[in-house]
Amino acid sequence: MPRGWLLDVTSSRAGDSVLLWLKEMQGMVHRVEVPYAPPFYVTGEPDRLHALGEALDGRRDVASVAETAIQSSPFEAPDVRHAALAVTPQSHGRRRSLATEIDALGACVTFRLFDVDLTASQLYYLEHDLYPCAPVSWSGQHVVALEPPETWDYVLPPFRTSELAVEVVGQRPGRPPRSTDPIARVRIGTASVEGVDETATLAAVVEELRAQAPDVLWTRGGDTFDVPHLYHRALVAGFTEEEFVLGREPMPFGLDRAGSTFVSYGRIYHRSPSFALAGRFHIDLDERFVEDVTMVGFLDVARFSRLGLQTVARQSPGTAFSAMEVATARAQGVHIPWKKNLPECPKSAALLIAADRGGFTLTPPVGLFEGVDEFDFVSLYPSIMVHHNLSLETLECPCCPDSPHVAPGLGYRSCTIRDGLVPRTLRPILERRLYFKRRKRETTGAERTRYEDLAKAWKWVLVTSFGYQGYRNAKFGRIECHEAINAYAREILADLATTAQREGWTVLHGIVDSVWLKPPADADPEAFARRISAQGHLPLGYEGRYRWIVFLPDKAYGLGVAQRYYGLYEDGEFKVRGIELRRGDTCGMVRGVQERVLKVLSQVRSAAEFQRAIPEALALGHAAAAELAQGGWSREELVLTHGLSHRLEEYRTFSPGVAALRQLKEHGITREPGEEVGFLLADRRSQDWRRRAVAAELMTGSESYDAAAYIELLARSFETLFSPFGYTLERVARTWGHDVQSTTPPRAFDRHSLERPGQRRLTVP
Amino acid sequence: MGRTVPTYREALDGLLTRWEREFGHSLADPRDREAFHEVVLAARRYIPQGTMMTSGDLVERVLLSLLVDLQRKLRAPDPGPFESEIDAFGNLR
Repeated sequence: MPRGWLLDVTSSRAGDSVLLWLKEMQGMVHRVEVPYAPPFYVTGEPDRLHALGEALDGRRDVASVAETAIQSSPFEAPDVRHAALAVTPQSHGRRRSLATEIDALGACVTFRLFDVDLTASQLYYLEHDLYPCAPVSWSGQHVVALEPPETWDYVLPPFRTSELAVEVVGQRPGRPPRSTDPIARVRIGTASVEGVDETATLAAVVEELRAQAPDVLWTRGGDTFDVPHLYHRALVAGFTEEEFVLGREPMPFGLDRAGSTFVSYGRIYHRSPSFALAGRFHIDLDERFVEDVTMVGFLDVARFSRLGLQTVARQSPGTAFSAMEVATARAQGVHIPWKKNLPECPKSAALLIAADRGGFTLTPPVGLFEGVDEFDFVSLYPSIMVHHNLSLETLECPCCPDSPHVAPGLGYRSCTIRDGLVPRTLRPILERRLYFKRRKRETTGAERTRYEDLAKAWKWVLVTSFGYQGYRNAKFGRIECHEAINAYAREILADLATTAQREGWTVLHGIVDSVWLKPPADADPEAFARRISAQGHLPLGYEGRYRWIVFLPDKAYGLGVAQRYYGLYEDGEFKVRGIELRRGDTCGMVRGVQERVLKVLSQVRSAAEFQRAIPEALALGHAAAAELAQGGWSREELVLTHGLSHRLEEYRTFSPGVAALRQLKEHGITREPGEEVGFLLADRRSQDWRRRAVAAELMTGSESYDAAAYIELLARSFETLFSPFGYTLERVARTWGHDVQSTTPPRAFDRHSLERPGQRRLTVP
Repeated sequence: MGRTVPTYREALDGLLTRWEREFGHSLADPRDREAFHEVVLAARRYIPQGTMMTSGDLVERVLLSLLVDLQRKLRAPDPGPFESEIDAFGNLR
């Protein structure tokens, strides 16, 4: 029996089978087609089901209809079955449309549908005890995984990888490519593919990919430009979908998934259309939902979630967590409801006020503090869910009226008899992350990096596992669970602060799952963390001692704010939050200078040394301001980034970002809410969209910039760091010999300032 | 977390904006204006504690914040451990 890896499972074009992509140890990749058409299920009154079955029987888009019985709810005992119809569509692609039709037939009330939005590949993995990139042996169509997905340490498949980048004719700085531009050359790995004309180049691309046979094709912006442009130009040149193949199997030139804009925790995101390939992974580095997760992390999450690598890399970690819940439920025999039918429980106003609250935070005192210890609960929220068995079906169960697990202040009980679906999903993840974190501490070099990447990937999954409890579309979410988790967390942090104070610590700051404490003389922070962990059954970690930490004020009232501070640990490592260099909209110049300032401060060991270091830091800024004033700063370093909350025509105020959008529109480029626009500030006072800014894509590198505006931005970054010590924007600028003329706050670049109602309507010329 | 019910911070913002518009705005004496500003700051300083209260009465939370702030100021002005090692003028404590 050959041995190797199951790289991926994809749906065939006909939609009645799946393709297994198997890579031999020696490197050869096999395509094995297996007939597979999973049904979805419909439950309802038996006579209505019978009538539905008769109506569906014989339809061309229905392969089969059968009467059966299924377990449809995690709330019910495992032996409870409901009458159901198993409906198998003629092709995977008809699954959702057929389900929509059936749902409408029952006026969205008569029937409940299950397993509709599970993909054929996801179901195949689940039903055959397989998972993406599993080490396997196979014989014909029979594939067996050689180890369970839960294995902690495993050998990664020997992926062959290439990077793909397209260059169009006439491409140069300041001229973004257009859809009509012919392809000049395509870089694939180390090869530069270029034919006598575009048609020859495109044919050579297919040949080169066949020769290199990469398993992973990396791109930077491949979903937004390279792949769709290749498809578009191939179509123009007369190639068919069978001839122009970027994967290992022909794919339609159309989109795998359309682009979308969505809101999460008040932020607007945009996801580009996705161009996945069959038999080959297309990973667009620019489209990773979580930027600091690497291939190793995606692969581990794919193993657990049974979602393909291309899906995991593009979707939010929440999607992966939902898929893991699906895997847990299916392992238990429970089918997955298509539309969740679990409205919020009625609540009194008083209960609603008590329940509808987030985590606990303290307002930190503003200023510099020496010798501060930081403690963090490890994965607090998921740990609470596991420890208190918080899951949609275990909350307020009828079997445990005297449960000791009662959410503080809310009274929600959780079951002590049945292990909830959510905790069952979370427990192995928590153990996995703890293992990776421990191995990270124990190892060095590449091994350490690998464990760090793995721990990071799971961190994001765990973070979303809590948020998804409050997400209305989450299959296994329940808002009361979300409220209970917050209630437990508030109590835990408040208790920790009280205990610490009682033991002589000074509580300086606290945010949700972390506290910053000033120790009493002879304190043993490690012992303190162990004691608290043992008392509350939740692991409290000691993050370390800061030589000094500066808590920064808000700009409006001068009061401390939760997530704005910078501090230097005793081991010389910085922790910074909420300052310019952490923000996505900061230009490279400000980030660079602020990093140099922190480098100066990294030598500081005490408040006295800090005080003496401020002039040295200001001198760095002075030199940068002088260079800026001369107009010689690299333009690339001055590009500001603006997150978009609206389309161009919806903006009501004129800002540099809007000017850049207008310029891009001139070149046929549009940006959607959730995307970003980069620009150079050319003349911030100009009311002309051609002069106010230069869109990053249109920059040539020789345009002039608004030096005063950039000096002000730089001075602001110094104000951020040193305002607790009397360094206002005006004082910083004066030190450098500049007057700040503008009263424009930095929020001029902030998306929120563009949304204030009642401002004059922008008329874009 | 503030899905249905405004957070205490949001509710307080609304209340303080109304107080400013209807009351603070009409204070002519600069000393009164300054005192009003301190009231606003005191209310804001105890937002986390106000959030922990489950009372539906917004003003109760604000009053308690003001009382604690006032009581603190009435006591000896000992800087204590909550004061920065470097003051707002850049001097070491």
